[in-house]
Amino acid sequence: MKYFASVKKSFKLKNYINYILVGAILLCTTVLQYTGLLRRSNANLLTQIAFSIILAVSLNLVVGFLGELSLGHAGFMCVGAYLGCYIANMLHAVIPSKLVVLILSMIIGGLIAAVFGFIIGLPALRLKGDYLAIVTLAFGEIVRTIFKNLPAFGGPLGLNTTKYGTSLFIPALIMVLITLIAAQNLVHSKHGRAITATRDNEIAAKAMGINVTYYKLFVFVIAAFFAGIAGVIYGHYATPVLYSFFSYNYSIEILVMVVLGGMGSITGSILAATFITYINFVLQTNLSGDLAALKYLIYAIILIVFIIFNNAPALAPIRDKMDIGKLLRRKKAGSDPSNIHGDDADWHRIPTKIRMDELLSLDVTPDPYKPVAPDKNKSKKEEK
Amino acid sequence: MKTFKKIAALALTAVLSLGTLAGCGQASYTSGNTEYFIGGTGPLTGDTSSYGISVKNGAELAIEEINAAGGLNGTTFKFDMKDDKSTAADAATGYDALWEAGMQISIGSVTSGSCESFATKSVEDNLFFITPSASAANVIENRNNAFRVCFGDPDQGILAAEQLTAQYTNIGAIYDTSDAYSSGIFDAFKAKMAELNVEFKTQSFDAENKKDFSTQAEALKDCDVIFLPIYYTEASLIAKAVAAKGCTAALFGCDGLDGLADLLDGTVPNTITYITPFDVNSTDPIVSAFVAAYTEKYGVAPDQFAADGYDAVKVIYEAMKKAGVNDVTIDPSALCDTVVATITDPSFTFSGATGTMSWDVSGACIKIPQIVVLQ
Amino acid sequence: MSTIIDGLSLGAIYALIALGYTMVYGIAKMLNFAHGDIIMVGSYVIFSVFAFGGHPIIAIASSVVVCTLLGVLIEKVAYKPLRGASPLAVLITAIGVSYLLQSIAQLIFGAKSQPVNMGSFDVLNIAGIDINVSTIITLAVGAVIMAALTLFVKFTRTGRAMLAVSEDRAAAQLMGVNVNRIIMITFAIGSALAACASVFYLMQIPSTSPTLGSMPGIKAFTAAVIGGIGSIPGAMIGGILLGVIEKIALSIPALNPYTTAIEFSLLILILLIKPIGLLGKKRREKV
Repeated sequence: MKYFASVKKSFKLKNYINYILVGAILLCTTVLQYTGLLRRSNANLLTQIAFSIILAVSLNLVVGFLGELSLGHAGFMCVGAYLGCYIANMLHAVIPSKLVVLILSMIIGGLIAAVFGFIIGLPALRLKGDYLAIVTLAFGEIVRTIFKNLPAFGGPLGLNTTKYGTSLFIPALIMVLITLIAAQNLVHSKHGRAITATRDNEIAAKAMGINVTYYKLFVFVIAAFFAGIAGVIYGHYATPVLYSFFSYNYSIEILVMVVLGGMGSITGSILAATFITYINFVLQTNLSGDLAALKYLIYAIILIVFIIFNNAPALAPIRDKMDIGKLLRRKKAGSDPSNIHGDDADWHRIPTKIRMDELLSLDVTPDPYKPVAPDKNKSKKEEK
Repeated sequence: MKTFKKIAALALTAVLSLGTLAGCGQASYTSGNTEYFIGGTGPLTGDTSSYGISVKNGAELAIEEINAAGGLNGTTFKFDMKDDKSTAADAATGYDALWEAGMQISIGSVTSGSCESFATKSVEDNLFFITPSASAANVIENRNNAFRVCFGDPDQGILAAEQLTAQYTNIGAIYDTSDAYSSGIFDAFKAKMAELNVEFKTQSFDAENKKDFSTQAEALKDCDVIFLPIYYTEASLIAKAVAAKGCTAALFGCDGLDGLADLLDGTVPNTITYITPFDVNSTDPIVSAFVAAYTEKYGVAPDQFAADGYDAVKVIYEAMKKAGVNDVTIDPSALCDTVVATITDPSFTFSGATGTMSWDVSGACIKIPQIVVLQ
Repeated sequence: MSTIIDGLSLGAIYALIALGYTMVYGIAKMLNFAHGDIIMVGSYVIFSVFAFGGHPIIAIASSVVVCTLLGVLIEKVAYKPLRGASPLAVLITAIGVSYLLQSIAQLIFGAKSQPVNMGSFDVLNIAGIDINVSTIITLAVGAVIMAALTLFVKFTRTGRAMLAVSEDRAAAQLMGVNVNRIIMITFAIGSALAACASVFYLMQIPSTSPTLGSMPGIKAFTAAVIGGIGSIPGAMIGGILLGVIEKIALSIPALNPYTTAIEFSLLILILLIKPIGLLGKKRREKV
């Protein structure tokens, strides 16, 4: 009884909203599928959405939570797709059940991609920022070039795979749930707090005794693992698996999903991945010729506008005004969590929905020596 | 409150995504058809979009002519091509969209990679397709429902080896390692050259390095002839690089070189020859009628892809006519069996813009290639 | 031998692009991902002038002017608001600008590559080696530009201000250097260099497309890193080294398909072993 009470007390809807959403969609569509009401094109769209969500959420771990830019996420997906499906092709000869083969190849593909994540994580220990971004980009291109030239994987013709069938979206959406559970538990654990601390100030994090090396590698490995799984799902969805799909452009597309959804917001990544995949699906049938460049124009504008709006120091007051949630919270509790430190600008250095105070589980109490919030000061000045 | 905002956003997405799911799956999508529906996918955007657009134009011209002549026993045809950007995934999506829109018969995909994806789906549904231009060997291999209008890659490689060894002694070749078409032809060429016991020099490039060809031109500048089993965009750059090295070797290519003349603007003195099923300057009445109609409709002269697309649709029409198809709501699978039986019948031949063709059960097209000298 | 000559002339192009990268990186402390796409814009300007029947000199001049203005504009609109924000944000914006330029070019000119004929050049035979005149021009002009730039940075007031900003931005500001103006000038010079690179590029490869700049851009960044980012002689050495390596790899049939992989592996190796490059300066991170 006490246990339930504590569960009820600690139950926050926002922690479970992602599971509820994905679970509900999974349930509805599965019912539709087995009653024969689901269109084939929609089932395939769901599969695409599923692997996009896995990619976006896993990239968000690197970009949003670890604060390092990876431009080679499609490279990990490529490794997973090629090697996972290569093994799946061998397994099909031995195991008759497609589902078992899918699960095994997802695990194997994910693990191999994770090994590559470890290899790419190593430079991450020495490099940061722009250098690391370009190394990950280089990695993605190298992987592609190598697979293209290996005759065992079909060379330029690509690797022929066995398709799973239209019901692939069911295991794929279950995989999304697993990814979400893993990602959310990671983020809300002490490891997650250590990762964000590393992002916000590496030297300070080191000084606090956080093993920065370990956590950086850890995030790269986890992200690569899930990207590899997304690759295996892709391989079971489309045949042949072709090196040209996993280009730098695709890595950018995943990055657009993360930026659009908000760096550091898992719910945002889910919504943005769904939205962009859906838009791609609609545009494919409606935009043709060179007008298709409009899609990339939209991506470009999303990247520029969202980043400038969320990051430009000059826009900080506008951002504060726009953040309805923050205003309401302030009215209700009378305390803005960000007041615990004087320098509010620090919190805007990397935009994130998850605040340091939540992550470090600090008691959020107003600073007795600083009764007036700096934000209030700002708004007063503006009134004058 | 923030949670509320989130829930609202989530609800919106849920409605959005479920909205796309609306509409019931049907046992037969073709029961509502009032026209025979030919589908296909091709690259309408991206680097290879010119091929897709040409095929689409050619196919639409054919549909127009068929419908103007009264269609099949009074029933008209319609044609739709979805953009696949030359990717397997988009070809699959395009296939689904067409299938649910009531596609009964198809011209497959324009490029080999996408067509492989298209073909795997069409086999499951037993949908007949005859691709205008996907020339990779595996597209039609072991598939009863798959046919093509163009030559296969290996055939062109073998023919090129025979032609070149007969005329030249010092032979070089440049091919694209990242392209299925190019490596397909080259592999067959290499095998045939080994069989003929003739040595030749090889250079290659790939999708990342397909701009600067000075290295390749340098390595092959002593050759009498350079074999180019590639597409015309890169071929034009190679031709210019070769000319810039002061090399006078003849250039010999396959049907991918069609369209090269427009990009050279007289800066390359070398002789250029290529194998093609379609010669825009031909005096054959069928070809010249096609060229005239196409030029009038689109304002440009047709290339080989346009001719292939035109022929693919016409073949479908002729085969359906000969088979006596008379039901506009016919099931794709039933239509497939009928058309396959007709088209593989030894008495079925078709004369179109790309020559006189016939088919056997393998799905490969039997026709006589022409060799065109560009300059 | 011919391979090495070809490599030198390709290397000179990489070096010019790498100079732009290295200056911007050294002074504005950001990786200008859109730098390669400015080359693309330059080539389309030349293409357009030719399409209206303009003289090559007019084409080159207008390319330099348009690129310089574009560089300054991009800096003002996209990068300046983010000064002081996280490097991650600036980098993502730069990627956005790169995409923006590419997609606008595709909407205007189409995805197909367009032939641009810069005129045909004679082949000279010097000491038994065939050298195209365009190669000689590229190398000579490239060397002159680099020398001029080195002198500019060392001996003019603006140049020394640039050095000061790259050394310590806050201190330079305290000493009365207008940092915003210096960064703007850096972008202008970098973009003008990109325009020059586009001219040489078209002399060697007579065709332009919306994605023309992305690969040379990334490779030139590799060159800048090899030479040590922030160092002008480093960019030259890195560019030429990379050009020669690329050409040698392309000329060996067994390595040919892996050329891109080789170049990028080289980048990763250098970053791992000697992250400051051949001529770079070591920096210590302060709290």
